Amino acid sequence: MYSSNHDSVRLAAWGCVTPLGDAAGTVAALLRGERALQAVPVLGREGGDPVPLALLGGRALDETAPPSWMATIKSRFRPVQEDGWGRPRRPVFVTSSNFGVGCLYAYRRSGDLTFLRYGALPNCVEWLRRELGWGESVTVYSHACVSAHLGLLQASRMIQAGLADEALVFSFDFLSPFVAGGFHALKILNADFPAPYQVRATGSIGLGDGAAFAVLARDRGDFAVLAQSLHNEMHHFTANRADGSGFTTCLAPVATAAAGRRLWLKGHGTGTLEAGRLECEAFARVFPGAPLVGWKGSLGHTLGSCGLVELALAVEAMRAGRTPGTVGSAAPVFADSVALESFANGAYDGVVCASNAFGGSHAAFLLGHA
Amino acid sequence: MSDPLSAHLKQLIVETLRLEDVKPEDIQDNVPLIGSGLSLDSIDAVELVLKFEKEFGIKIRSSEESRQALASVSSLAAFIRQHADPARLPT
Repeated sequence: MYSSNHDSVRLAAWGCVTPLGDAAGTVAALLRGERALQAVPVLGREGGDPVPLALLGGRALDETAPPSWMATIKSRFRPVQEDGWGRPRRPVFVTSSNFGVGCLYAYRRSGDLTFLRYGALPNCVEWLRRELGWGESVTVYSHACVSAHLGLLQASRMIQAGLADEALVFSFDFLSPFVAGGFHALKILNADFPAPYQVRATGSIGLGDGAAFAVLARDRGDFAVLAQSLHNEMHHFTANRADGSGFTTCLAPVATAAAGRRLWLKGHGTGTLEAGRLECEAFARVFPGAPLVGWKGSLGHTLGSCGLVELALAVEAMRAGRTPGTVGSAAPVFADSVALESFANGAYDGVVCASNAFGGSHAAFLLGHA
Repeated sequence: MSDPLSAHLKQLIVETLRLEDVKPEDIQDNVPLIGSGLSLDSIDAVELVLKFEKEFGIKIRSSEESRQALASVSSLAAFIRQHADPARLPT
């Protein structure tokens, strides 16, 4: 486990894009209870079972060369294109769970060599670097659905160690038939729409497009990442320890850092049953009485980017003074602490955001005013 | 005498997962396939589900249904008999 609660880092800038809009737009839509997920054939133009996917407006599931989402990044994420990123003392940390893997599958399906320019991690990152004008100091982290947390932590360490003045964390995951087909094969992506933390007979997740960025600084910004924790159970590729100790172990140092604060909680909440129950129980043990929300019932799971996408949404929720509820879910739920409806958050002085991943990985951070 | 469907399923399990140290006849009808017993894991389960869906033209709709169907060879045979076209079953 790695935890850091000695030195906080500030958020000088942040942003995200989801099918519901930018961070502020997405929070507003979630507060209205909107659901971005729609039933889409799992293999795109090749058809297959309809499954809940949330795609950026106008974007088809099938890959294009170059990937169509770059236009959205360029138009929405001005701060990541500023001069100086990727140069001395302004490093970039790129995180994703699948990078351009969909393009490899598109190449396999079409035989079009153009897709190989964007498929696989090195090609994809080099393309990002050129398109967004970054220098050579670009570090890549990929660790399934806690990828963004890992990038955030490593960027924070650079700031805290005095090795960087500011750091850019950029995270993205856009869906493709390859990714949707993989989760469909596991049967956790199926015909049902996700209902995070809801007690029901079968679990299901949705998947969503998502990208986000955060500019970390030592002394600039009104919000701060106050503590961070990463933990791997080293138990099983696809299963958590049955007693939920992996969740608890990860949350404990964040709880220590948050002592005395009144908190609300943003959980991972994909819609699977066992992990949802374990997560609820762990939150209730470590943060008794704190309301828990999850937003993947609307946005779907944005995979490796979810930690940073939901960081941006949590900050915007704090700015808006209202936290969206657990859209897509209904009673009964796994714990009384699950907030199905939105609530005013002005009386709270922090939020704990958590993500979990294949391979027994858990991550959490504490976000609050600087 | 062994049930033809159960025997066929055991053969498919060994072939699909390339189990070098296990013969079809070593697999007991009521022993858990996943986690204990045959000690298959969830990745093995994905491979088996895809194989059985293709072989018998069935659909397994969720991970919970998958777990239930793959509890043992007996439960798998019962699930397939319930959902597959009888013409696709071995006789």
